[in-house]
Amino acid sequence: MTTVTVQGVSKHYGSLTALDGVDLEIGVGVTGLLGPNGAGKSTLLRCLATALGPDSGSIRVRGLDPAVPAQRTEVRRRIGYLPQNPGLYPNFTAYDLLDYVAVLKEVTDTRQRRAEVRRVLDEVELTDRAKTKVRKLSGGMRQRLGLAQALLGDPELLILDEPTVGLDPEQRMLFRALISRIGECRTVLLSTHQTEDVGALCERVVVMSGGRVVFEGSPRELAGVADGQVWLSESPPQGNTAYWRNADGLYRTVGQQPDGAEATRPSIEDGYLMLLGRAAIAEVVR
Amino acid sequence: MPPVSEQSSDADLLRAIAAGQTAALRLLHHRHAGWLRARLRRRCADPDVVDAAIQDTFVAVWKDAQRYEEERADAAAWLWTIAVRRLVSALRGPAHRWLSSLSGELPDVGTTPSAEELVLLGVEHGALGPALDRLSPELRHLIEATALDGLTVREAAKLLGIPEGTAKTRLMRARSRLRELLT
Amino acid sequence: MSEWHLDPELFEQYEQGVLNPSRVMAVEAHMSACATCRGRVPVDITWLTGNWSIVFDNIHAPQAGPVQRLLTRVGLPEHRFRLLTATPALRWSWLIATLSVVVLAVIAASLSAVGETGGASRLFLVLAPVLPVVAVSGAYGSGIDPMHEITGTTPSAGPALVLWRAISVIGAATALAGVAGLLLPGPGWYAAAWLLPALLLCTGTLALATAWSLQAAAAALGGLWLTGVSWVLGVRSEVFIPLVFGPIAQFVYLAAAAAAVAVLIRRRRHFDLGESR
Repeated sequence: MTTVTVQGVSKHYGSLTALDGVDLEIGVGVTGLLGPNGAGKSTLLRCLATALGPDSGSIRVRGLDPAVPAQRTEVRRRIGYLPQNPGLYPNFTAYDLLDYVAVLKEVTDTRQRRAEVRRVLDEVELTDRAKTKVRKLSGGMRQRLGLAQALLGDPELLILDEPTVGLDPEQRMLFRALISRIGECRTVLLSTHQTEDVGALCERVVVMSGGRVVFEGSPRELAGVADGQVWLSESPPQGNTAYWRNADGLYRTVGQQPDGAEATRPSIEDGYLMLLGRAAIAEVVR
Repeated sequence: MPPVSEQSSDADLLRAIAAGQTAALRLLHHRHAGWLRARLRRRCADPDVVDAAIQDTFVAVWKDAQRYEEERADAAAWLWTIAVRRLVSALRGPAHRWLSSLSGELPDVGTTPSAEELVLLGVEHGALGPALDRLSPELRHLIEATALDGLTVREAAKLLGIPEGTAKTRLMRARSRLRELLT
Repeated sequence: MSEWHLDPELFEQYEQGVLNPSRVMAVEAHMSACATCRGRVPVDITWLTGNWSIVFDNIHAPQAGPVQRLLTRVGLPEHRFRLLTATPALRWSWLIATLSVVVLAVIAASLSAVGETGGASRLFLVLAPVLPVVAVSGAYGSGIDPMHEITGTTPSAGPALVLWRAISVIGAATALAGVAGLLLPGPGWYAAAWLLPALLLCTGTLALATAWSLQAAAAALGGLWLTGVSWVLGVRSEVFIPLVFGPIAQFVYLAAAAAAVAVLIRRRRHFDLGESR
């Protein structure tokens, strides 16, 4: 079932084009929005979260149009949003912060609000940190608290902007497990520039570049983009080709077959690199 | 303060609670709420009052855990005296709230009954058993409230709804009657 | 401690209340002493989690203080109270700024309390009406509230939220200035003379914020007040107090404030929320 429909959405900041005619349909499950910095991921998410209005094009969340003030409030009742910089008040305790956001999310009945705060604390496993001030929480815990506030009110659509950024590998694993559990019955749209995130938890992936959608499909299909174009060789390939050494000491090339190289199965990252071309390869190799 | 777990002792949990660890309070609650409930229900038929007394108990423990002294009382016995006092004050209604705040929020550890003492009383398999059964209910209730529940005579009087003086004389009568029955 | 333990059957009889008194006492005495048997007491897990969640709420949820109880009695719902009290807590800086201005005014006034037209008292009367407006404009907004992106995308975001937050901040600032006014030397009515100009500036700012951003509106009206008053002070210094704070002037402030409220109500949908949409 389609939760979000985006049609021809464009957004400009002065002469800079952040979104250039984006068309998308997103349904239940976890969808990853992959792309290099400046691809327009955050701008698109902010438009969907009603933080930003597009210059042209239309957005529908469960058929509701956020451009119409009355429907915008209805959309806001259905979404949970974790911005890239949530700016959670450092002097609030985890409990008080969630209590405050729950008030903003119209959970007005005291008893119901307490139950709701308890529920989300439990869901992100922060129950025992409820009395801790935000500034004393670790980065991973703060990120989980940010997710908890998005979960308040049990929204149908969760919009998470770079939720795994700045987490160490262990926290990242925990966080992925948490998000995939949440995504079982909701629509989750998250942005990332990590292909591992996509492989680990997304059912669908949307690749953006230069404000446009350049790919839409499953992670397997994304890997398939590079089918027959990924090569391994024992010596560095000649010519003007981007390559890097993998853990086995072999040279991996995406694109033209170098001399003496053998074809190998592409990964999600290979597909992503094929799509984005040299600019992206340069960024990843760097 | 090391992290607490299912294996932590009650005293460790109480120290962690005093340091503000909610996890420790949860473990303590899950460990003790069950038997406290079973025991309180023998004294009060209203399940809501019993539940509220248990909740009050753990909220009080959260606020005042640093008052617990490991050397002077067993944690379970200490929890029980808090719980039974909470129940007493709830039963006597808001007008009798002073009872629970008689000496601050929590009872002094010195007044909690020592478990060893109770075992030495021999209620489990001594001659005391039959003797207690033969005691009249009103005398037995006083022995129960003071020796078993660790209430003061004054609190026992409130629990049983009798004047303090009456409670004192009854307790004396109960003790001499028990001595009679045991010899 | 003892070899004897409670068996499930005995415990069941205990719970059903069919044991004779000495057995009941034996079971209880043993439970006090034996952690193993305490642990064996069967517990309904649903009951246990339910009971724990109330304990959890009690130790975490903000407890109602006397102020909240008073406001509840006059009909302010608990969730509104949370919103009002959370707002000033968001930004202590403006509170400290307001407080220091007020304290400075009082100190200056006390030091130079020679005549009733003392310069410091005048200074206070001129500055006090601006304080709540400054407080409002500095209390939140896209550049100031770090959680703005989250707040701005909740269903509560909108004119009502802006108003509630404004009321909370104006209330706090007015109370502070009020206390300072009472501490000032000079005729008693000085302590209240600034209230109507302050009301006008606040309502005017909010009304103007339906067209401009709140910060711009506050700056415009606050600036207008300060320039106007300084100008009067410059040309008609001898009749400054009666002219700016006299009965006629006060009536004009009240009427203008009423007009501003009318504009505010009519145009409430156009509130600038500081959003970039």
